[in-house]
Amino acid sequence: MIKENENVKAMNSSAVPVSIAFAVVVVGMVGVYVCGHLVVWLQNLGLNSFASYPELFVFIAIILLAMLAAAMPGSHRISIISIAAFAGFVALTYNQEILIKYLSLAALLFSIGMYGMVASRNAVRVLMSIELMLNAVNLNLVAFARYVDPVHVRGQVFAIFILTVAAAEAAVGLAIVLAIYRNTATVDMEKFNLLKW
Amino acid sequence: MEQFELLTNWAQANVESFMLYLLAAIAIPCAFSVLFDRAIIRSGFFLIGVFGAISGLFLILQAQFLALAQIMIYAVGITLVVVIALMLTNARLEKEFSSIEPTERIGGLLVAALFFLTIYLALRSESWPVSSLQMRADNVLQIGVALLTNYALPFEFASVLLLAALMGAILLAKSDPKETENVTGSLVE
Repeated sequence: MIKENENVKAMNSSAVPVSIAFAVVVVGMVGVYVCGHLVVWLQNLGLNSFASYPELFVFIAIILLAMLAAAMPGSHRISIISIAAFAGFVALTYNQEILIKYLSLAALLFSIGMYGMVASRNAVRVLMSIELMLNAVNLNLVAFARYVDPVHVRGQVFAIFILTVAAAEAAVGLAIVLAIYRNTATVDMEKFNLLKW
Repeated sequence: MEQFELLTNWAQANVESFMLYLLAAIAIPCAFSVLFDRAIIRSGFFLIGVFGAISGLFLILQAQFLALAQIMIYAVGITLVVVIALMLTNARLEKEFSSIEPTERIGGLLVAALFFLTIYLALRSESWPVSSLQMRADNVLQIGVALLTNYALPFEFASVLLLAALMGAILLAKSDPKETENVTGSLVE
């Protein structure tokens, strides 16, 4: 029994994560081809409103597969999640306009930052996630400046202002983290309950 | 081989899309590593990867000044400050709370995923007024003129904000236990 467990652990450490990541990529690429047939099938069934968003099916399939793969014990979760997110991003935007590609990438980075801001326990990591979100907003502004309003440079000027505010925010935020650390000897978000009433 | 030729033809026809996906393939895993890496100092360095990829995106969006400012301010300045703050706060704490387990905090995950899907659907159902013009070649000159004419007031406010933020940061981060002792001592007297 113990030997079996050890064997399972040894297999998990090397073979399983790589094969799972590979499977996620392959299934994502196959799904892009399959979704064309799926659309015709849905239109035959009369579900036109679902058939007008074929990429969403591929995206949801990739996300579900990645969740399944990440739930397995011993899998390398960071690579599975990153590969699935990139494959989903490609599946969602591969036949869109170029502006929508930029804006979707910015939205994806913004939601990654949002999740990190909500779920991180280290205060410095929370600040890093906020920097990520500000940067995604900058990407939006520069993409608008390039494609919607290329004659004037309004988007780029506002991106410069956001850069300034981000620098100020990083300095003050990290100073606050240092001050809190000096007072409470921790940077754990779960233990910052000084204002609890 | 034919498939490969098709791929290269596609890449030559859509250089910008190809570069966008290449830089996204750098930015997205780096962003996830910032959140999930066990050693937080390494996630601070992955942040440089994200910022570098985004400055590459600025370059292919023909915003040269912003790309270089991004590298100088974010990838060097802010990341340096973050790493120094990591070193000043305690390194022993890493063992207590290593990183986010991706499977926990389902609520935050759901909110972020729903947010992304909503934004994406809103983006693709909108018809954007895309202009076919290029950015002008004297981009830096235009930014400078705009900052000192139309946007002169926000520019000055930004400088005041930076000054106030720097002074506030120094005051907050400065540690002087002696001075407080003196104050309490004088109060006692």
